[in-house]
Amino acid sequence: MIIFVQSLLSGILVGGVYALIGIGLTIIFGVMRVINFAHGDLLMLGMYLTYFFFASMGIDPFLSIVLTAPVMFVLGAFLQKVFINRVLNALPQNQILLTIGLGLVMSNTVMLLFTSDYRILTTSYSSSALHVAGISISTPLLLSFAITVAITAFLYWFLLKTDTGQAIRATAQDRDAAQLMGIDVKRMSVLATGMGTALAATAGALISPTYYIFPQVGSSFTLKAFVVVVLGGMGSIVGATLGGVVVGATESLAAVYISSGLKELVVFVLFLLVLLFRPAGLLGKSRM
Amino acid sequence: MRPALPPMLRAPRGAAVLPLLLFAAALAALGFLPLWMTSPYALHVMVLIFLAVIQGESWNVLGGYTGQYSVGHAAYFGIGAYATMMLLQYHHLAPWWGVWVSVAVAVGLGVVIGSITFRLRGPYFVLASIAVAEIIRLIALNWTDVTNGAEGILLSDIPPLTIGGRLITDFMSKVPFYYVGLALAAMTIAVNWGVQHSKLGYYFQAIREDQDAAHSLGISLTFYKNVALAISAFFTAASGAFYALYVGFVDPSTVLTVDTSVQIVLICIIGGIGTILGPVVGALVLVPLSEALRSNVIADGLFQLGVSENSRTGQFLKENLAHAHVLIYGVLVVVVILFMPEGVLGFVKGLRRRFAGKAALPAKGEA
Repeated sequence: MIIFVQSLLSGILVGGVYALIGIGLTIIFGVMRVINFAHGDLLMLGMYLTYFFFASMGIDPFLSIVLTAPVMFVLGAFLQKVFINRVLNALPQNQILLTIGLGLVMSNTVMLLFTSDYRILTTSYSSSALHVAGISISTPLLLSFAITVAITAFLYWFLLKTDTGQAIRATAQDRDAAQLMGIDVKRMSVLATGMGTALAATAGALISPTYYIFPQVGSSFTLKAFVVVVLGGMGSIVGATLGGVVVGATESLAAVYISSGLKELVVFVLFLLVLLFRPAGLLGKSRM
Repeated sequence: MRPALPPMLRAPRGAAVLPLLLFAAALAALGFLPLWMTSPYALHVMVLIFLAVIQGESWNVLGGYTGQYSVGHAAYFGIGAYATMMLLQYHHLAPWWGVWVSVAVAVGLGVVIGSITFRLRGPYFVLASIAVAEIIRLIALNWTDVTNGAEGILLSDIPPLTIGGRLITDFMSKVPFYYVGLALAAMTIAVNWGVQHSKLGYYFQAIREDQDAAHSLGISLTFYKNVALAISAFFTAASGAFYALYVGFVDPSTVLTVDTSVQIVLICIIGGIGTILGPVVGALVLVPLSEALRSNVIADGLFQLGVSENSRTGQFLKENLAHAHVLIYGVLVVVVILFMPEGVLGFVKGLRRRFAGKAALPAKGEA
């Protein structure tokens, strides 16, 4: 029982970060109907930025989010304006290939600049843990979960209560109608891509104390983000939050009860099952 | 106006004699090429080009003509490679028999996967195809008893091919691979030609243009998508077997990753999707480019042009250009999607039309 609770709990904590990755992807998809195949590479860039701030200036990875997120927001806005905006009306496959191409450029540029060596970011608390009632909780995981919850709460407030947030949601619901209502949908697209990118980079910063940092780390997170988003329903932020936690918990339980090598396999099988039987996601609606 | 020929003498609908003659001439020329081009490296590049043509033309049947964008073709490529290698290495079944088994496995699995995933459309189908390929990669990686896991399978040697006691080839040089590659490439091109000019191909293209309209006209969507997938998986698996025997080594990270799938798609995208020549053009662009980068021809060329070899830039180029071929792939994709969404072939056709002063012709003159 204690093993079950232990693995479920650490799965949920990791799932919080997956949720953050998924929310970024789902915002971009919701507003522009573009699936961002470079999402994991944006996360990878976030990891490298965090590593850079840590290694050269000694800034704590969790604190440096206040620097990483804005930088990556600007990058996301740039990518939208220069590249993604041009294929908004193209075939979905062309949109997908464009983002795959952008991802290849990002990961391989990083590889040329920093080699494909694995880097490790070790903080004073990287391997420390809290012990409560026989269950141990990794400190960096707990911290990153707390930050995730704070960011998600802020995001919900932003999207539900502010004018800009409501304009983004309106654009996601119906782009044409939003435009007719006087919403600047182009600006909303730029904003959404910037936000999605910043969220991916934040997730990268949050996992940097516990994961290896290398140029190809992104692709596995891209796939994971798809699973999270499809599980919750494409374009749904609540769904992505739930999807992240479900994927995290599934992975963690599968690693304990089946085999750690097969945890991803279980996640992909779950993904296929959801795609086939509940294509609109577990919550059954694909709106924000 | 030309007088109409009697039906017997008329070429099949849409077929022209000139391209056929050109195709035959190119085949003949390529057939004699190894007689005077004996450099192993040149032969190696040709084999890689053939491999890319086979992969591209195979994907084209499903992705180009039927419009089902699979980004999971590494699954069929990997199964072809793995099955042939395992049969040869562990069960000593000669590859020219083993390849049939591996192709059959790939087609069978493809139809099973297809029956499940073809009800999905657009981005959902793309995601499902990736997921399936990842599942197969993870199985190959973790089922160590059968696949040797992450270590992969190293081929010790290929038995010599004899027919009636007479030695045909012992596979010691690159020449036999050259001819096998050429034959397979010619075959896949012929298959694409057949698809483009047959009733089956019209069904495929109808599905690509408008699934619902095709369905309402009585075309069974799942059945014809599965037929396209079966053809595509057949030749993709054959290309996987060919690759495995040529390289003599398979492991999950070279034949089963998403990158492998993406590179297969790129061959078509860069050349031009849904055309017979597209994948050939794509292969002719991509393979020489990545080989030139890998062998530092481009860096040397820049030094010849006056970039100092010992400057910091020179050192950087020398050390890194060899690793840059995937980066260049990425840049190429972005450029092609943004500026020539119909591929190099479509772009060239567009230019030709513009210079011939026939800009008024519809952009999609030839499918």
